[in-house]
Amino acid sequence: MSPRNPASEGQAYWSPYKAGLGIGLTLLLTFYIMGHGLGASGAFTHLTAKLLHSVTPEHALANEYLRDYLGTGSLWKSWIVIEVLGVFLGGLLGALTAGRLRLQIERGPQASRGRRLVLALVGGTAVGFGSRLALGCTSGQALSGGAVLAVGSWLFTLTFFLGGYLFALLVRREWQ
Amino acid sequence: MKAPLVPHEMLGPELGLVVAAFSGILFGFFLERAGFGSPRKLTAIFYFQDFAVLRVMFTAVVVAMAGLLILGGVGQIDLELLAIPDTYLWPQALGGLLIGLGFAVGGY
Repeated sequence: MSPRNPASEGQAYWSPYKAGLGIGLTLLLTFYIMGHGLGASGAFTHLTAKLLHSVTPEHALANEYLRDYLGTGSLWKSWIVIEVLGVFLGGLLGALTAGRLRLQIERGPQASRGRRLVLALVGGTAVGFGSRLALGCTSGQALSGGAVLAVGSWLFTLTFFLGGYLFALLVRREWQ
Repeated sequence: MKAPLVPHEMLGPELGLVVAAFSGILFGFFLERAGFGSPRKLTAIFYFQDFAVLRVMFTAVVVAMAGLLILGGVGQIDLELLAIPDTYLWPQALGGLLIGLGFAVGGY
């Protein structure tokens, strides 16, 4: 059975400019109130630090990198954790109201489920490691850092597209 | 009222968490409306078929940037207090490359 393509189901997607305007205004509002932008990957670092601390506190506190994430108290008081939960809810709300909510493993017509899942794990690991190295992901660096013209964020955006175009050549059959 | 509100202590950190939920919900909703729940749509940019990723991302960056410049220009927001990511060129270049790889391979 070939996988379904959600683009052909439910309501049409918005024009990229309309959706971009919405995200841009959300980002502006966040800067106006908080003084910083939106993020995503940082929430997973908070979660990692807290999970490690609950299993082996000495080890977590001895880790110089994760220690900094343990001072904020409860996970529910971390700004980025709450924001990312909001992203999940907002995405769910969007998919529900557009009639696009499906339980599926989306992939190209010739890709197997197993291959897609293995590649998802490989890709996710690269994104996780890369986002710690770069101090942020596409949300924190490209979007938020880009809007305040941070030099490193724009370099990040360039190498992000470079990496995408280079490595996409190897996995074309997974998607196309 | 002088922005940014939380660094200026016009708003406490507890209300900041309400803002986190609100901003997150809007961000997630607009991302979904853009079609970014679909890894096939997201990766189509790398096969020169659908440039939504670039269009959405750059529209958002330009809107936020222009908004900040205008608000800063008329004195409504203190641009000095905005968080600007630190610059570490090699880690950011390598991190970007790895995230590009992961995005193409993993789909998000």
